[in-house]
Amino acid sequence: MFLARIEGTIVATAKHPSLEGCRFLVARRLEADGSAAAEPNVVVDWMGAARGSTVLVSTDGDIARERLGNNTPARMVVVGMVDAVQRPGASDEAPSPEASGAKRSVA
Amino acid sequence: MRLGIVRGHLTLTPAVESFQSRTLAILEPVTMENLHAGNGQGGGKALVAIDELGAATGQMVAFTEGREASNPFYPAPVPVDAYLAMIVDLVDVAT
Repeated sequence: MFLARIEGTIVATAKHPSLEGCRFLVARRLEADGSAAAEPNVVVDWMGAARGSTVLVSTDGDIARERLGNNTPARMVVVGMVDAVQRPGASDEAPSPEASGAKRSVA
Repeated sequence: MRLGIVRGHLTLTPAVESFQSRTLAILEPVTMENLHAGNGQGGGKALVAIDELGAATGQMVAFTEGREASNPFYPAPVPVDAYLAMIVDLVDVAT
């Protein structure tokens, strides 16, 4: 599992039948120092995550298979929305929704 | 899943039985920088994925990697580790 920041949304008409009706978001993995990965990931979201929010993404396809069927290629799923991250010794730039939102607007 | 741009297709002769009559697409993963720029560039390391949707060269797609890539063929054992799961119409990552 990893922390990720939601960067945007995806619309796709032609897709695997099991993905019909799913919400897909562009997420960027966050490193320990708060920086974001160069390559974005596409994640399935049932939580209603908004752009700029920090979420926990699981790369295990079990939840997706349970909800979308055994034939689904979906893998990365938002399993929770992050309230706050406690990191002793780190500055106030913990990737809370507010902090990451502000950071994103600056970038 | 990651995002990629279709750069071409390939055929195999011979190929393992489960790969026969499959379409294989060459994908170039897209970095966040290029996604924001919307310049049609990728920037990642190219890979090959099975395509059952018929994506054309130049189109942006999303592909699954790992064990989940073979789920669409369940219960048949297909040695695939990248599956083209959707053709992207629109990405909204406006700042």
